[in-house]
Amino acid sequence: MNRIPKITLWRVIVAIIFGAGLYATYARFALGFAQSTHLTDPQPWGLWVGLGTLCGVGLSAGGFGIAAAVYLLGFERYRPVLRTAVLVSFLGYMSVIAGMMYELGLPWRIWHPIFMWNRHSMLFEVSWCVMLYSTVLTLEFSPALVEKIPWVSVRSWYLHWQHRILIGLVLVGCVLSSLHQSFLGGLYLLTKGKLDPLWYSPQLTTLFYLSAIPAGLAVTVMALHLSVRSLDVQLNPRIFTDLSRVIAPMLALYGIFRAVDLMTHNAAPYLFRWREESLAFWAEIGLFVIVPLVLLSFEKIRNSPQNLYWTCSLVVMGFMANRLNVSITGLQASSGVYYVPKWTEFATSLMVLTAAVLAFRYAVIYLDILPKKASQLRWMANGAAAEA
Amino acid sequence: MPRTRAILVDITQCIGCRSCEQACKELHGFPKETESKLSPTALTVIEEHGDKYVRRMCMHCQDPACASACLVGALKKTALGPVTYDKSKCIGCRYCLVACPFNVPRYEWSKLVPFVKKCDMCSERQVAGKPPACVEACPTGASIAGWRDQILEEAERRILNDRKYVKHIYGSEEAGGTSVFFISDVPFEKLGFGAPPTERMPELSQAALGDVPTVVLVGGALLSGIYWITQRREEVQRAEARAKSASSEEGRRS
Repeated sequence: MNRIPKITLWRVIVAIIFGAGLYATYARFALGFAQSTHLTDPQPWGLWVGLGTLCGVGLSAGGFGIAAAVYLLGFERYRPVLRTAVLVSFLGYMSVIAGMMYELGLPWRIWHPIFMWNRHSMLFEVSWCVMLYSTVLTLEFSPALVEKIPWVSVRSWYLHWQHRILIGLVLVGCVLSSLHQSFLGGLYLLTKGKLDPLWYSPQLTTLFYLSAIPAGLAVTVMALHLSVRSLDVQLNPRIFTDLSRVIAPMLALYGIFRAVDLMTHNAAPYLFRWREESLAFWAEIGLFVIVPLVLLSFEKIRNSPQNLYWTCSLVVMGFMANRLNVSITGLQASSGVYYVPKWTEFATSLMVLTAAVLAFRYAVIYLDILPKKASQLRWMANGAAAEA
Repeated sequence: MPRTRAILVDITQCIGCRSCEQACKELHGFPKETESKLSPTALTVIEEHGDKYVRRMCMHCQDPACASACLVGALKKTALGPVTYDKSKCIGCRYCLVACPFNVPRYEWSKLVPFVKKCDMCSERQVAGKPPACVEACPTGASIAGWRDQILEEAERRILNDRKYVKHIYGSEEAGGTSVFFISDVPFEKLGFGAPPTERMPELSQAALGDVPTVVLVGGALLSGIYWITQRREEVQRAEARAKSASSEEGRRS
C-alpha cells in the first residue's frame, strides 16, 4: 500500500489551511499574543472568543436538542439522525476546547477552575459546564467507537452499561447544555454601560439559549445534507422537512422574544440610526430570523434538502453574526478601538474547524453514524477483502 | 463593615509633577520612562486634559466587577480595602478586562507568559501601616490616603465649603462605590471620566447565577416527568396492541 495520494483541489485547500494554521500556532505560542493577534486592552476578547467559543458552543446545540427529542419526548422519527447530531456536538465541543488553548494566556493552567472556585463568577459556571458536558457528550457518543472494538466481551460489557445510564446522561446533558448556552450570554451581563443597547439586555441568558437551539439544528441539517451528497449516505428526505418544521417556530420564538426585549428596555431608538451597529443589527436579524422564516414558509423550500441546506446556512451565518456582534461590534464604540482580527487569528480558527470537518467525514465513513448506500457497503467489503 | 482604606485625589491641587508615577514605577521596578496611558509598566499615570492633570489608577471598587468575574478567584477585595491580584491562580482568560467598568486592568500582550497588571493600592505597605507609595510621594497633597469614611468626609467638606468644586465626588456612587475618589472644579465628563452603572456590578450577574439550582431542579424534574410520560405511553400502546392481537386470535378460534 505505498500509493502516493492523488493531488486534488480539496486536498490542496486543506493543506494550505493546515500550513497557515500551524504557522499561526507557532506564532501564538512562540511569539505571543502581540505577534499573533490584534487584541488590545480595550478589546481583550476577539475572534477566538467570539467565533471559537461563542459560535462553537452555540452551533453545537443540536446534540442535546435531538437527544431530548428522541429519548425524552419519544419522537422516534429523529432517531436516524441522532448519532449525527451527537457527533457534531461532540466535535464542536472538542474544537471549543482546542480553541481555548489558543485563547487562554496561560493554557497549561486550564485545570485551575477544578480546584480554585469562585461561585460568584459566571465564567466559573461556564468552565464547569464545558468540562461536564464534554464528558457527557463523550459518553453519549462512545458506543459508535466502542462497537468497533473486536473483543466481544469488552464491547458488550461497555455497551450494556452505557445503555443503562443512557437516559441519565441525556437528562444531565440537557440541563448542562441549557445552562452552558445561557451562561455564555450571562458573561456579558457585566458589560452594562459598555455593550451597545441593541445587544445588552438583562435577558442575555435567555436570548443566548433561545438562539442556540435553531442554530444547532441548522448545523445538523447542513451536516446531514453534506453527508447525503458526498458520503454515499442514504436518508429519508422526510427527515429534513421534519427538522425544518422545528427550526421555523424556534426562530419565530426567538424573533418575538428579541423584539419584545428590545422594546421593553427602550432600545428602539437605536434601531434606525445611521451607524455601523444598527447596520450590523439588521444584517444579523435579516440573516438569522427574517429571511429564513420567509424562505421556510414556502413548501418548495421545506421539501427540498438542497434548498433547506442553503436556508440553514443563512441561519448559521445570522447566528454567527449575532455572537460576533455581542462580542466585538457591540463593544467597539465604548472601547474606542477598531478591532480587525489578524490573519493568524482566522488561520487557527479555520484549522480547528477544518480538523473537525475532517473528523466528521471519517467518522461517517468508518463508523456507523448514518445508514450507507449499498454501493458504499460493497466498496468497503471489497476493500476489506483486498486487505485480507 | 470594618474600616477600609481609601485615596482621595483633588484634581484642583495636582500640578502634574508625576512624582506619583515615578514612585509607583520605582516600587515595582518598572522602566522610568513616562507613559501617557495605563500599561503593564504604568499602574498609575497622569493624563493631561486641557490645563488639568488627571491621575488614573484602579478605583478599588467596594464590590469589584473584576473579582466577581474572575473564575479562579485570583482577584480579591481584601478586608483592608485594596483589590489584589494573585498571579499564581490566574489562567489568562482576561474576563476581568472585559468586566471592569473603568477599563483599568492591563494585560502583558507582548510576553510569552502574560499576566494581568493593575494597581493594588500598595496592599502590603498598607498592611504594615504605611500609605501607598504614590500618595507618600505627592508634594502638594493632591492625593491623600486614610480611612474611607474619613476620606469621604474630607471630600464632602471640601466640595461644600468651596464653590469652585463640582458638587459630586467621583467614586461615591460609580459602580456601587469605590475606594478611590476624585473631586474637581471641571465637570468629570470633560476630564475623560466614564459614567459606569451606579449599581454594584456583581449584582448584574448574580440574578442569573441564582437561578442555577432552580433550573437544575425544575428542569431535571420536568425532563424526568416528560420521560416517564413517554415511557408510560409506549407501554400502554404495547399492552393495547398485545390485547388486540390476543382478542382477535380468540375471535378467530371461536
